[in-house]
Amino acid sequence: MSENSSRRNFLKMSGAVAAAGATGALGMAAPVQAKAMPTGKMMAALPKAKGPRLVVVGGGTSGLTIAKYAKKEYPKFDVVLVEKRDMYSSCFSSNMWYAGVINLEFLADHSFMDAAVNNGYVYFNATVTGLDRHSRTLETNEGDIHYDFLVLAPGISYDYEKIGVKDVEVMTALRQTYPGGFISPTEHVTLHRKIREFEGGVFLQTVPSGNYRCLPGPYERACLLASTFKKNKVKGKVLVLDANPEITIKKEGFHAAFNDLYKGYLEWLPSKAVMGVDVEKKVVKTEFDEFKFDDAAIYANVRGSTLIEQLGLMAPASKSNQKEANIDTRYYNIVGDPHVYVTGDSRPHPYSKSANTSNTEGHYMAKVLAARAQGKEIPWVSPRTICYSMVNANPLEAISVDAGYDYSAEKDAITGFSKDTKTFENRDGAKGQATLEWARGMYRDMFDA
Amino acid sequence: MDRRGFVKLCAGSAALAMASWDQAVLAAGFEAFPPAKLTNKIGIPLKAAEIPVGEALVFAYPVAGVPCFLINLGERASKADAAMKNEDGDYAWSGGVGPNGRIVAFVAICTHQMSYPQPEVSYLRYAASGSELAGAPGRIVCCAHASVFDPAEGAKVVSGPATMPLLPIRLVYDPVSDELVADGIMGMSYIKRYFKTYKADLNARFGAGGYRQEVGAKSACVPLSQYSGVVPAC
Repeated sequence: MSENSSRRNFLKMSGAVAAAGATGALGMAAPVQAKAMPTGKMMAALPKAKGPRLVVVGGGTSGLTIAKYAKKEYPKFDVVLVEKRDMYSSCFSSNMWYAGVINLEFLADHSFMDAAVNNGYVYFNATVTGLDRHSRTLETNEGDIHYDFLVLAPGISYDYEKIGVKDVEVMTALRQTYPGGFISPTEHVTLHRKIREFEGGVFLQTVPSGNYRCLPGPYERACLLASTFKKNKVKGKVLVLDANPEITIKKEGFHAAFNDLYKGYLEWLPSKAVMGVDVEKKVVKTEFDEFKFDDAAIYANVRGSTLIEQLGLMAPASKSNQKEANIDTRYYNIVGDPHVYVTGDSRPHPYSKSANTSNTEGHYMAKVLAARAQGKEIPWVSPRTICYSMVNANPLEAISVDAGYDYSAEKDAITGFSKDTKTFENRDGAKGQATLEWARGMYRDMFDA
Repeated sequence: MDRRGFVKLCAGSAALAMASWDQAVLAAGFEAFPPAKLTNKIGIPLKAAEIPVGEALVFAYPVAGVPCFLINLGERASKADAAMKNEDGDYAWSGGVGPNGRIVAFVAICTHQMSYPQPEVSYLRYAASGSELAGAPGRIVCCAHASVFDPAEGAKVVSGPATMPLLPIRLVYDPVSDELVADGIMGMSYIKRYFKTYKADLNARFGAGGYRQEVGAKSACVPLSQYSGVVPAC
């Protein structure tokens, strides 16, 4: 979807709201011939707020953590979680499904309703269509919701233009034929099928440049596919075309796995940024080469969710070259607006876009929101990136990293990893087991009381 | 708290839960339960002298669904601490019991995200001789998210994301017989959440509601390596 077409679709979707708000918070120049119903006036079917209303948009790791812990930190909050999906399935840990290490229930047997009931908030199954920050109104396809505090945690979108795919027809075909598998459950289901159907040849996995979601994810997936092909004696290999000159994280552990375990089943080529895809012919183009594939997971660059752009909350290019949100570095509020926050993978920070980052950031943000609802401030705390990568499925073996981050007040920026950052790159069965329990702990922390 | 009180609490009596929370905000304390003699696997009372130093023994207390670690600290001395703190409030930990105060017991449920020993696998273990995560010998380590606790200091958090110590179990030692009895636990509000979190699993393992049954006069201690099929050495 190009920027223009996405904007146009959004206008259509939000109809008269956008027309009314064309010069307001939505910041859209083009007027709309609104034939649509007078939306924006219907209120969502929600009980009257019994305290300061905190609306959280997005039921991923960030949103679920914040909804739960904000209520715990400040029980007066009246919390509403707005989520467009009616079925949860995590993106984290999904690579393990492809190798049969886990089943789909492991990822998806977690209910938004149970999370809400267990933790005293409301799950509202709706899609955001607009935002009026002046009247503090969030607009959804199920009606408007007034908020005192709004947290947007909409995750990421793919940026296909950055891999040279600008034509909307090619983009659409690519998106659904060779999905990256780093956003939605339906991508995971498609990839899972592809891997079981693969009979040999080249299975392409691309790695984008930039701060993409789950830095070790594409390498972990390459290992797990190679492990599966090797076990099933499939005459094929995983070709990893990496836009980066070196593996972006845990490189020693991944190189060791590539070399020790997957000779002949996995080929990793650095500095091969995809610059175009021919979906019909199954060819990707890089600067100097073309690569033919039999099947693929083409991971385009990552940007802040298109929702952030649509709501007019995007940071200028000088602050984020990935269309992320224009927020305060430490407290995540939209610059100049203490009522609206953006958390999770739409943040512009150089943090690893991982579940553990969003979960620990969510714990901290719950405290920030609780404090601000009471007119107080709290000191900044770094999120923590504990991240396991399963590099072998037969038997289970993993590597891991445990990272924190440093903030510079002088630069008002995150300057790098903190001193207590550790990597555990010798793969072993203990970490293989721990990888599973790490995920179960995440689910417990988000869904249980 | 007597049996009735405990059953009520588990059944989710809001009033009672609230009362217990309010009391606990000021200071946390042990709740007494019927004493259980700690035995070996076949029900013979365990002598303190027989408790191994190399790994934790697992026993259930005060009810079937709560796993606890019994640990012999060996050469390490335990250190009483009057200024401990958990989510229910401040409390004092009076150190270990038995010869030289080397025997300690804690609830084996990680206070971060509730990993606990199960028949298939335990991500929580006593790493007597140290490990990649532990940093030093004699620590309790949770593989799931790298929390490390020191059993010699009341299972205080040494490193990792956990924010409170493992819940303590009160032991009574009889120097004449060299035997041990468990008779109290601290932190039932956390146990209540653990039951809620794992209710389906616990029902499958212990029968409907079986995890809430008191252990009775005896509780068998089993080495963790026998209790759980897999014990990752993180």
